[in-house]
Amino acid sequence: MAEYHKQIAKENPKLNAYLSVFNKPKLETRNQELETNFLSGVPCAVKDNILISGEKCTAASKILKNYIAPYDATVISNLKQAGAVFLGKTNLDEFAMGATGENSAFGPTLNPHDHTRVAGGSSAGSAAAVASNLAVYALGSDTGGSIRAPASWCGAVGLKPTYGLVSRHGLIAMASSLDQIGPITKTVEDAAIVLNAIAGHDPMDSTSVNPEWDLPDYTANLNKPIAGLKVAVPKDFFSVPSGSASVATSAKEAALAKEGRGLDSQVNNLAQAAIAKLESLGAHIDQVSLPMVEYAIATYYIIVSSEISANLARYDGIRYGYSTSKAENLLETYLKSRAEGFGAEVKRRVMLGTYALSAGYYDAYYLKAQKVRSLIKRDFEKVFEKYDVIVGPTMPYIAPKLGGLSDPLSAYLADIYTAPVNLAGLPAISIPCGFIEPETSNQKLVTRLPVGFQIIGKHFDEAKILQVAHNLEQSGK
Amino acid sequence: MSYINKKEVEHIAELARIHLNEKEKEKMASELRAILGYIDKLKEVNTDNVEPIAHITGLENILRKDKINEKPLGEQAADAEKLIKTVPDSKDNFVKVKAIFDK
Repeated sequence: MAEYHKQIAKENPKLNAYLSVFNKPKLETRNQELETNFLSGVPCAVKDNILISGEKCTAASKILKNYIAPYDATVISNLKQAGAVFLGKTNLDEFAMGATGENSAFGPTLNPHDHTRVAGGSSAGSAAAVASNLAVYALGSDTGGSIRAPASWCGAVGLKPTYGLVSRHGLIAMASSLDQIGPITKTVEDAAIVLNAIAGHDPMDSTSVNPEWDLPDYTANLNKPIAGLKVAVPKDFFSVPSGSASVATSAKEAALAKEGRGLDSQVNNLAQAAIAKLESLGAHIDQVSLPMVEYAIATYYIIVSSEISANLARYDGIRYGYSTSKAENLLETYLKSRAEGFGAEVKRRVMLGTYALSAGYYDAYYLKAQKVRSLIKRDFEKVFEKYDVIVGPTMPYIAPKLGGLSDPLSAYLADIYTAPVNLAGLPAISIPCGFIEPETSNQKLVTRLPVGFQIIGKHFDEAKILQVAHNLEQSGK
Repeated sequence: MSYINKKEVEHIAELARIHLNEKEKEKMASELRAILGYIDKLKEVNTDNVEPIAHITGLENILRKDKINEKPLGEQAADAEKLIKTVPDSKDNFVKVKAIFDK
């Protein structure tokens, strides 16, 4: 513990991974099983949109700057039961809205491998803390890629469980039909151990997994060989998803493709190498097609913004946190508290969602998006009739430079491989699959930036994706 | 359809209860236009006879017993106090708000 505190005191002023650090380790709960629990006494970090009773929970927003959580999230109660020790709360894009970690009201988290680059979002601080050894493991949340993206860009393991496997009670809501809490860890085995502690039914979350189900021990199958495994590789993930200049459906996409915003060729090579490794381990590899994935980002941003506009209506300057001092009447309290308390990306999404749900546009945008979401789910279901897992790169490119994804639409397109998974409610894990040395003018300063490989499974088939990920991880040693 | 102008931004901002200044309105209109322009590609998809998603893993009718909270009153009061503490302005354990009508 003391070692971690020392490290955090030294590294955090640069990285900005932690928003708050607990001086006294939280260890209120003691029970006899603790001595045999893997997580007993193990220091962890928690994304600052998950409530720990009596501690600040800001969601990296000015509007919740001084908010003290009145209760524990269910995942926190579960970890306390397991004897976990909490080091502090980690930085994120405001209300978990962002792909880079730069939308935090308290400044960006830097990438531990290169301080001129972003850590990835929105669970930026959680991934950076684990990757730079400022925590053994961390909790994040993933709505469109927010666990997997920073894990990929920081070189950690990030698991987004099936929608409903982990309770959302005590997670500050962004998009309730997509949000899911999961672990960011150093190894696949650690991810399985943390999942064991946090998975399960919760009466406080009616969308959580059926109470009658017997959940497996997620560590049990890790070492089983994967010979005979059926692996699907969607060609849509490799055909330069944002559109090569010739097939791009919009000028914007063509411009992005020209800027190299499609699948980076070196990322492609490392993903192909990981697939070849799976084959050498006895897996059977086939190309498949997920034609509706092309529409995932458009669908995602309508659904996510619509749910955001409803969920964030509660920040009214009356019930929580920040309230303007400039209001003369109640309406001004709303208008000005929200204007002064929310950052640019939050305002943009609330506006977009309000528009999509407003009279005259509901059918054209929200209902249409929910129907396309059905089709995206069907695409995945069809593939999973014949295959055990779907694999590909986690992110289309390595961590960009700070400010490199400042255009809102290009930031949205970074989620191209991760958001479809949330829309279909599926579990997925990102594990490191190698490094890239970006070209640099300074030959003396060679940095290596990690690349992530994504393994997607059937609903509630976390045991399978963890097994595949563990086999792949061990084969690389 | 997706051409969103400044007037429409003003209307949406009012619905969303977010005050925007003139400069922010212009910027918001152009950013939303770019995003909606991209989202318009959904029109290409044929969704005739497709049901919208209700719940992604297929849960239905999750019910609980209609039971009253059996926490002792003292604990309930302590909980209430914690919640009142998170309120920006309160008086005598009530949430305080500004006047709804102008004087």
